[in-house]
Amino acid sequence: MTELLTRLIRKPQGFVGLSLLALVALACLFGPALAPYAPEKINFLGRFRAPGWQNWLGADQFGRDIFSRLMVGARSTVPMALIATFAGSAVGAIIGVGSAYFGGRADEAIMRTNDAVMAIPGLLMALLLVSTLGNGAGNAAIAIAIAFAPGMARVTRSVALNVRNQDYVKAAIARGEGALWIIFREMLPNVMAPIVIESTIRVSFAVMLFATLSFLGVGAQPPASEWGLMVADARQYMYQAPWALIAPSVAIAVAAIAFNLIGDGLRDALNPKDER
Amino acid sequence: MSLAWLIRRLLLMAYTVIVVSILVFAITQILPADAAQSLLGENATPEALAALRAKLGLGDPAWLQYAHWASHVVTGDFGVSMCTSQPVGPEMLAALSRSLLVAVSSILLTLAVAVPLGVVAALRQGKFTDTGVSLVAYLGVSLPEFVTATLLALLLADTLHLLPATGYVSPLEDFIGGVRHLALPVLTVSVILIAHVMRMMRSETLDVLKSDYIRAARLKGLPERTVLFRHALRNALLPVVTIIALDVGYLLGGIIVIEEIFAIPGIGRALMVAITARDLPSIQAGALIMAATYVLTNTLADMAYALLDPRIRYD
Amino acid sequence: MLSITRRHFLAGTAISLTILPKMALAEAPKRGGVLRMSIDQAASVIHPMLARVNPEYLVTELLYSNLTRLKPDMTVEPDLALSWEPNAALTEWVFKLRPDVTFHDGSPLTADDVVATINAILDPKTASPGRTNVGPIKEVAALDPLTVKFTLSGAYADLPVALTYLNARIVPAKVVTGALASLSTAANGTGPFKLTSYEPDRRIIVERNPAYYDPARPHLDRIELLVYPDRTAEASAMISGEIDLLLTTTPGQYERFVKADGVKALRTPSGQFLNINLGCDQKPFNDVRVRQALALAVDREATVGFVAGGYGTPGNDTPLSSAYHFYKNIPLKKPDIAKAKQLLADAGYPNGIDLTLIASDQPATRAQLGVAVREMAAAAGFRINVQTMPHATYLDQVWKKGIFYVGFYNMQPTADAIFNLLYTSNAAWNETRWNNSAFDAVINAARVENDEAKRSALYGKAQDMMHTEVPSVISAFFDLLAAQRSYVEGYVLHPRGSVFRLDMVSLGAGAPKRT
Repeated sequence: MTELLTRLIRKPQGFVGLSLLALVALACLFGPALAPYAPEKINFLGRFRAPGWQNWLGADQFGRDIFSRLMVGARSTVPMALIATFAGSAVGAIIGVGSAYFGGRADEAIMRTNDAVMAIPGLLMALLLVSTLGNGAGNAAIAIAIAFAPGMARVTRSVALNVRNQDYVKAAIARGEGALWIIFREMLPNVMAPIVIESTIRVSFAVMLFATLSFLGVGAQPPASEWGLMVADARQYMYQAPWALIAPSVAIAVAAIAFNLIGDGLRDALNPKDER
Repeated sequence: MSLAWLIRRLLLMAYTVIVVSILVFAITQILPADAAQSLLGENATPEALAALRAKLGLGDPAWLQYAHWASHVVTGDFGVSMCTSQPVGPEMLAALSRSLLVAVSSILLTLAVAVPLGVVAALRQGKFTDTGVSLVAYLGVSLPEFVTATLLALLLADTLHLLPATGYVSPLEDFIGGVRHLALPVLTVSVILIAHVMRMMRSETLDVLKSDYIRAARLKGLPERTVLFRHALRNALLPVVTIIALDVGYLLGGIIVIEEIFAIPGIGRALMVAITARDLPSIQAGALIMAATYVLTNTLADMAYALLDPRIRYD
Repeated sequence: MLSITRRHFLAGTAISLTILPKMALAEAPKRGGVLRMSIDQAASVIHPMLARVNPEYLVTELLYSNLTRLKPDMTVEPDLALSWEPNAALTEWVFKLRPDVTFHDGSPLTADDVVATINAILDPKTASPGRTNVGPIKEVAALDPLTVKFTLSGAYADLPVALTYLNARIVPAKVVTGALASLSTAANGTGPFKLTSYEPDRRIIVERNPAYYDPARPHLDRIELLVYPDRTAEASAMISGEIDLLLTTTPGQYERFVKADGVKALRTPSGQFLNINLGCDQKPFNDVRVRQALALAVDREATVGFVAGGYGTPGNDTPLSSAYHFYKNIPLKKPDIAKAKQLLADAGYPNGIDLTLIASDQPATRAQLGVAVREMAAAAGFRINVQTMPHATYLDQVWKKGIFYVGFYNMQPTADAIFNLLYTSNAAWNETRWNNSAFDAVINAARVENDEAKRSALYGKAQDMMHTEVPSVISAFFDLLAAQRSYVEGYVLHPRGSVFRLDMVSLGAGAPKRT
């Protein structure tokens, strides 16, 4: 693990990615303590105030301090994206590995159905699910997890197919181990690397998908300080208070770039043969 | 590519479409509040709701509704919208044509920009151009589409007055106007695609440039340009085709937001409206069309593979 | 304020419409031109009896006509009816129709068409929103081809106003008996425009009806209606000259319009409001002290700032704004947190109270009000959780049933209309279940009262009752906001919010030539 980290830091992408991630993690962990104001405190006289000593990043249409909202909103934005991606990857990985294990006809059937589900575009799937489950960040997370699962299943399956043909798996089958045991104990651990890489990159998609769902009105609901919702709300006041739009957009970009870079860095670090 | 392969692909497409329709139908059955409620709005009395539900066939059991719908669809009749009472099929297909206009233009723009940029970045690996290009690529995929759309509109329309901020004009009615109105949406969509394709192109080109047969070609004394275009590019393009095929899914979905902001009456927006109004025939038709487009594109991508690499055979 | 005498209000006469109203224009409106107008959502329903939202009211207004029409000052003018006369008891009304009016297909308008239309609207099977809004009509009959008699189930002074209702547009009798549903896809009306092209999600085109009963109108050759779902982008389109007129806009965009060249920002105070409905038949809001406490916690001027962007007027917990005829100027309730806390304690909640406030997602101002009230009422001990949901779900599960939710209403033509719509015990949309029989008595008395002063006193009493007992917290009225290019002439933003009168619009100097 530490070896992986050192390799990661050595690469410029890994280094920048981890630094940005550290910033984001800081906001998530200590956000509320760093926030000078309560994120939902409205202030009639301070509406649309420009960035200055009273509001470091300015104030929005309710007079709420944007910096405070960013700090507190980190907790609504990033962990949600992580959970959604993790859940989607977990489900997808199990499907993918299971399909590879069973092989043959079952594999065909599972994968064809999986591809069929993938034929529904992610955003559309998320929209349908949120309309069914109801608006809100939690349901949006579930919807995104379900939307991600088929893609992860696909990625996992192709790696798992290789693993399936390894000796240790064949030995386990010969020993008479049960399917579940083989899937979870022999195969899954060995497909971790690609899953982790793919998931890390997907976290950035999840952050943006969340923001888009908030823009369409079905993600996080007011008065939450989720970054995507902040951007969506700030759009209509863009001409009066551009800072209300810029600050959360930059925050989202930082988080997305962080995960992207780390994902790329991991891919390079875990595949030493590619000297890039 | 043999006929058997084509037939297998068509059967696969049919299977995909059936699974999608069942899945979407199942989800719509659990949607709270139905089309009758949405249509009658505040004026829904229990009697009015009952009457309208009977008229729309919403009272029938789920499997019956599905069977009814499916039996019509195979003859090409997608039913009638619960909101507008107009036939769904022609409306959705017209909407699809407008979405495809944006999608195809974006793909073309992406290829024209991302392929050369990726190659250049690979050739100048490690140097300033490479880093610069990679940086721009990262930025492109780090902002949600609606933010990119907003910023591009702010810059190119509101500030520089180069392009119209929103709206759709049919190129068939007014070609120049149509193109000008398409520019911003296409640019917005392309930003993300270009980022993906460019990075893929770059890494694939790097890979290919190190491969044996490229070294062999160089040793043979072939001019660098021939090495590049004849051999390297061909092989690097293969995964690019994959990426584009995979991105079609994103395209079709992300287009919902683009169409909302730029007022393009495409299939994404039609679906948004249908979902809000619980207009089941329109939701079904829209989802089906998107799925079919996705599968078709994948099939075309596979065919493109075979063309690009004669070693790949399908039987 | 409006000064309407009883005579003017009750018995309308034809005004020759070739004499132009006194406006700033010295010359006659220019004839011709194409108007491009943007609407915020698709007009999915063009059936005049079933239209539900503003874009649909707009389309049906272009294609059809009512018997009477509402002017911007909320008084009534003739449309298809030239004159009307009630009996002394106000229970029977005789309307004389305009002669030589034809439908788009050439067939003449007769009293039979009016009778058939009204009967269809009153028929529960049609499920028209107009059913409870056209007045207490018991029976309608054709006395002769140009005369219609309405027999009401009770005295009702406002029948001519009620007949301006947005779903009471006259359609041919043969369509009513033949295929009423056909009006969902094709139009056959007497309106100033004819439907040329109908692609609901893309574009609707209407062209001048050459057989319109007033040859001077409409001035425009053609109107194109385009859907722009995003307000921000739509505003950019207006500023760059892509569209000539837009239906409605938000405060954020309005400020852009004020500063933009070539654009005229439009604004008019109206009776449009958001109300926070309190379920008066259940805990905790069955205790009037809890309701009053909430009312005292809300800073009304701040609400106008937060939710209407400053473009509005403070509300006093009655649904009448100063734009209504019988508005009574009661001193504005100021926030008094200490008193609110005291009232809550008296009602049995010394440690405050937890509540969930439901706001549908249409329009977005519902949730904004929820958020503002949440913060303001927190100081008084109200711990409010704002929950949003899709509009259709809200209508299905919360509206009229819930104990704490946000409602949204356009201005109605009369005080009687809004009180009877929402606050009487047998109101069609009895949101709060206040069921106050004393209040009902006042409203019913006002409805049949002819004397202006007495009527005014009665409505004043009704407003006082609502102000004191607070079945709903109404903290702000919205100004209506829109925008047009400077070269658009004759368009008046109507306080009712759903009346547009585009037949009066013309294009002046500077309008682009469009084919």
